[in-house]
This record gives sequence, structure tokens and C-alpha cells, in this order.
Amino acid sequence: METLLQILSPTFLLRNSVYASVLIGFACPLVGVFLIIRRLVFMGVALPQISSTGVAFALSLPLWFGFHLTDHGSQTAHTLAFAGSIVFSLAAILSLAFMERRGRGQPEGRLGTAYVVAAAAGILLLAKNPYGEVGWLDMLKGEVITISNFDLVLTIAMLAFVLVVLLLFQKELILVSFDREMALILRKNVIFWDVMLYILIGLTVSVSVLSVGPLITFGFLLIPALIAHRFAQTMIQFTLFASLIGGVSAFIGFWIAYQYDLPVGPTDVVFLGITYAMAWIAGLSSKVLL
Amino acid sequence: MFARITPGEHTQQPMHNSLIKLDNVGIGYAGREVLSGISVSIDRSSFTAVLGANGSGKTTLLKTILGLLPPITGRIEAASSGVTPIFGYVPQTSRFDPVYLLTGFEVALMGSFGRVRPGRFVPQAERTFTRECLQATGAEEFYHRRFSELSGGQKQRVLIARALTTRPDILLLDEPTAGVDHAATLAIMEFISQLHKERKMTVLLITHDFAAAHRHAEQVIWLHAGKVYQGPAQKLLTAEHLKKMLEGEMN
Repeated sequence: METLLQILSPTFLLRNSVYASVLIGFACPLVGVFLIIRRLVFMGVALPQISSTGVAFALSLPLWFGFHLTDHGSQTAHTLAFAGSIVFSLAAILSLAFMERRGRGQPEGRLGTAYVVAAAAGILLLAKNPYGEVGWLDMLKGEVITISNFDLVLTIAMLAFVLVVLLLFQKELILVSFDREMALILRKNVIFWDVMLYILIGLTVSVSVLSVGPLITFGFLLIPALIAHRFAQTMIQFTLFASLIGGVSAFIGFWIAYQYDLPVGPTDVVFLGITYAMAWIAGLSSKVLL
Repeated sequence: MFARITPGEHTQQPMHNSLIKLDNVGIGYAGREVLSGISVSIDRSSFTAVLGANGSGKTTLLKTILGLLPPITGRIEAASSGVTPIFGYVPQTSRFDPVYLLTGFEVALMGSFGRVRPGRFVPQAERTFTRECLQATGAEEFYHRRFSELSGGQKQRVLIARALTTRPDILLLDEPTAGVDHAATLAIMEFISQLHKERKMTVLLITHDFAAAHRHAEQVIWLHAGKVYQGPAQKLLTAEHLKKMLEGEMN
């Protein structure tokens, strides 16, 4: 309990990390729900990895051109990292979704390849970068300790943007996902709404990867939505439950990690995994009992 | 006698009562024609059945009329007013993914989205109208039930309610009785027929069911061996004509 009070204290040293991981816990499942209903779960796995490779790529650019980033946490580095993350995320999601729509080849194969190539490229970029071990490895491991005010503000802005867009355009996004033909017949611009959704997903993934790394991001994109789907009765419940599970799990995960001196990211994801397993068993046993 | 429309041939049809007219249209996917030279018209307040074997181009024709596929050749004319009619489309139930946690009401409400601008919430009047459409199709009891958990016949009723919610000029149904048991098939067909008679609703029905087409439809468009035939159901679907056509194919 003492640890909990410490974490909740406004003077807590790692408060930015708590706020950021909880905000990301709330935000990621909001778009993760669309990955589940559009059967794009593998994209939820590949995308954060590609996004983090974008960060590594962008931060390597100055070195390749003979510049040195003296301070890893500088505004320039952050801007570069954000640009790399968002460019890679959006390029990946738009091209993968386009190929998905064409329905040719093997989508799992494409996503698997994208994931593994992105992971390998990230390692190669880190290996050749003298700053790699300073902060990037921590980020890739999901060590949520050094969350700057900039990262926190970015995360808050992203959550607000995602919430507003989803609230305003939920009916269009659900319609084009559920019944594309009907949307076309109702003269909806389905490409516009698809791109809007992908931008939302890409933005969420980019900001999350930048703040907490790919591990937590893909954990929070998918697992809360998968848990919520077992219990929700409506799409609104599905979205709300997923977001709540994400936010609450992020907080509990942080608490456990802080209590037992564990890395936050893996703790969050393992906690979510255990919750999912328990939800699955609960669902199974209720079916047996009924 | 029935009007026989072969590829490249035209029939002179009066336009005044026509809701949709296909003029020498070629249909298909990615520039490859499945059927060509289609010249048929759908009259206002008519009940037209589109018949044909699997792969004959029924669904392709429907999608072309709906504007989901562009015609490869020819053109599709809207009614004499020149305004594209509002389509109430009833797709096959099998294409919906059960992962969506949508209730019967939420699915039916989608029909109103064409009248509600993006970023606006659906007004109460539209919700009330959707409820009325569900009532009209006998699907009110599915209001709160999850769409994916309904039976094939129940889903069809919700989808017909959704199509009515669009306030359509024409109802287009793609094999509404596919995968539905016999009793539900009869009920659905009776309901569609009743809708047509009571509301003077223009109906375009795609079906494999010759008996149902004979019983309910006034006009038939029959896609057979790469050719398109249109005529009154009572004349086109007589044993004599069917025999003649099938013999013609064998010869």
C-alpha cells in the first residue's frame, strides 16, 4: 500500500512514466478495437515494430550525414524520432492495408516478413549507432522510466485527438468496416474513412512507441481489446471496456513493476496476458455452468 | 412469348415508367466481361426476379446496377427524372463477420447514415423511423439482440429493415433465402411480396428459386448461357418456354 501511495503522490519522481503508460493504456485499445474487428491483429504486432525501426532510422540519419546528436533527449532528437515513427507507421499501414484490400498473396506472410525485417533492421541500426545503447535499447525493451514532459504532452494530445475523432466519426468508421458495400451505396467516401482510420492507428502507434516502446504498444493495442470482446455486448461496451482494461492494467502493471523492481513494459504485458488467460477461463467456465 | 435479348441486340422499352434502364451494358470484373449487350429495364413499382445458375453473372449485374462495379461498356440510365434512385440493398447474410458486436437495431440504423452528415449524431426521428422499419419487418424483437447471433431468416428481416430505413426507391435483394430453411424461405418471400403490393415498392430479387420467382415476380430477367432474357414471369417461366430454351442450348 505504501508503494501505491508513493506512485499516486504528485511529487513521485516517475510520475510522467505513470501518466504516460496509463494514458497509452487507455488510448491504444481504442484503435486496437478496429484492428480486431477488421481482422488485422497481425498488423497490430508488426506496426509497433516498424514504427520503432522508423525511430531508429530517423535518429541514425544525422550520423550518416556527419552530424552528432549530443543530447539524446533533445528537442531535435524527439522531433526526428517522432517524424521517423509516424512516417514509417503510416507508410506501413497504408501499404499493408492496400495490399490487404486487393486480397492477393498471403497477408500473414507479408505482415510476418514486415515484422521480422523491421526488427532486424532496428537491431542493425542500433549496432552502428553510438547512442543506441543510451536510450533506445531501454525503449525497445519497454523500460518506461525516462518520459519527458514533451512525450507526456504528446501522449495527452494524441489521446485527446483519438477520442474526439472516434466520438465524432464512430458511425462512419463502423459502417465502412462492417459493410463496405453498404457504405458505398450510401455514397460514403470509403477511401477517405479508411485513410482516416489508418492515420488514427498510425498516429497512436507512433506516439506510443515513442513514449513507451513497441512491446507495450502492441500489448496494449491488442490484449485489452481481446479481453473486452469476451464480455462486451455492444460495440460501445467493447470500446469502453477495452480502454478501461488497458488503462487500469497499465497502472497495476506499473505498481507491480515498481514494487518488485521489474521493467515496466514486460510487467504490463505479462499482467495483461495473465488477465486474458483468466478472462478466457472465466468465459469457458461460465459456458460450462450454463 | 417472351422478349429475348441477346448480346448486342436492343429492345425498345418505354422510358416513362422505367426506374432503371441498362442500355447495351457489358458487365464484369477488371475489364473482363462476364456478360455483354445487356439491355433491360426495371419498371417503377414492378417486382423483377433475376434468375440464373451459379456464375451466370447475377450478383455482378446487381453490383453494377448498385454502382459498386462500373459497367465495362454501355450505360445505365436512371429514371426519367434523371436522379439516381435510392437503393435499399439487402446483401447475403453470410458475408457479415460475427466479430462485430452490433445489435439488430444498430445494423438497421445504418440505413439512415446516408441522411446524417459525418460528425453528427443520428437524430431521434431517424431512430424512431428505424424502429418502425424493424416493426414492419417483424424484427422488433431483435432490437437488442446481437446481429451475429440471429438465424439466417432473422438476419434477413433486420437487413430488409435496414434497406427500408434508407427510404429506398427500389429494394434490391441478393439471394435473401440462401441458407435459410424452407419455412423461413416462404415467410421471407411472402413478406417481400407483401411489401411490394402494399407499398408499391419496386423490387429486384436475385434468386435461384424458380418457383418463388414464378409465384411472386411480375417480370423475370434470366441469365442463361451468356444471354439475357427479360419478360413477364407468367410467360417466361412456363414449362414450354423453359423446355424450349434448354433444348435450344443442347442443340
